[in-house]
Amino acid sequence: MIFFVILLILTFLAQIVEFFIPPLDWMYNARIYIVPVIVFYGAMALPLPLVLALAGFAGFLLDAVTVQALGPRVEISVGWSILLYAVLAAIMHGLRPLFIRGRWEVHCIMSGLCTSAILLSQYLMISFRRGSLVFTREAWWQIGGPGFIAMLMAPLAFWILHSLGRLAANPYLPEPDGYE
Amino acid sequence: MNRSSIIALGIFAAILAYFLSFGAESTRKLQAGFYSLISPFLKTGSGIQKSITSVSTGLKTLEEVERDNASLKVENRSLKATNQALRDVEHEVNRLRRALAYSERSVFRLVPAEIVARDSSTWWRTVTINRGKADHIESDMPVVTDEGLVGKTTTVGDNISIVLLLSDENCRVAASVEGTREQGIVAGERVTGSVSPLLDLNFLSKQANLQPGMKSYTSGVGGVFPSGLLIGTVQSFRARELDGQARIAPAVDLSHLEDVFVVTGNK
Repeated sequence: MIFFVILLILTFLAQIVEFFIPPLDWMYNARIYIVPVIVFYGAMALPLPLVLALAGFAGFLLDAVTVQALGPRVEISVGWSILLYAVLAAIMHGLRPLFIRGRWEVHCIMSGLCTSAILLSQYLMISFRRGSLVFTREAWWQIGGPGFIAMLMAPLAFWILHSLGRLAANPYLPEPDGYE
Repeated sequence: MNRSSIIALGIFAAILAYFLSFGAESTRKLQAGFYSLISPFLKTGSGIQKSITSVSTGLKTLEEVERDNASLKVENRSLKATNQALRDVEHEVNRLRRALAYSERSVFRLVPAEIVARDSSTWWRTVTINRGKADHIESDMPVVTDEGLVGKTTTVGDNISIVLLLSDENCRVAASVEGTREQGIVAGERVTGSVSPLLDLNFLSKQANLQPGMKSYTSGVGGVFPSGLLIGTVQSFRARELDGQARIAPAVDLSHLEDVFVVTGNK
């Protein structure tokens, strides 16, 4: 439970930090997202009820930060990011047997893919609302770039979070020999 | 799936359904509350970011001093740092003087505001300012600088507001072009790879034949933006099948905003 609270705090802080990370102009303005990496680690290291709570919290933060209420309409309703995070975190949770066997590389790759999946879903939703679907090179970079960066960040982030989990005596972590 | 997971799923579904039922007003209230909650973090972060930028500029100057004046290294370091600090102050004074002059000569009632954070999302272009309901700011108020139009307020908290930038596709402004009878709608692009994106001026007549350098102003149609605010200058024009479209370079550098004014009414 302590580790779950730590992950909640880290998720909140990461969401604040993301405000101050400028887009990468050499990558067609792709952005760096830290929150998904934390949530997807939590999806492996926590039991399902806490995974849902963490995904719900991260989704709520994302919605609160990005939602656009213009006049009488809302572009993407509050709740969609919660659902999105929950589905993706549940998929990651389903891959927990690999995590227990020490096969972290799958989750690192999945973290990147899921980060891009969030951005792709947002893009599809706003395109649907705005009435035209346009995929330019910039759009692909802004969807794929953050996923690629998340993939690169994941090994170090997972290692730090795993160490924190051990320090916090997270009972749901696999045993040091690699098996529960 | 065990019992606790099923209960958790049930609670999760109920909370999700609750949030999905939110309308525009509830969403605005929720977002305003959330931004009010995180505003101390954003303001602190903004301050730290400015300090870091200032320190890194100072360090660069010290490196030059070290290379050029090995014998007077220590003294020069101190002088350069002082000089840099004074330049920062001078820049600040000039900026505020310009802002004050604009505020005085403007025909609008203006509330000065500082940018405390930029958007953290990929698909929406917004900034957060340190003024809100306490300063009589409401949603859908124009935001300007002395150079031209910046955007409009959307969600307003007690001491913080979100400004939708002109470069966002959702910020649509009725515009006219100087020296012509042409009127159209200015909007940003959904996706752009540039930090200073161009705007599209749509629904012009095919015969408009606008020339680069012509200025575009708000026409006042629609009620949100008063007429006569500079939007930008025409970069190019092309006739499409049904209408004409011009590309506009915004008058304000939206990627380097520091201070803005919210137009709360006429004087």
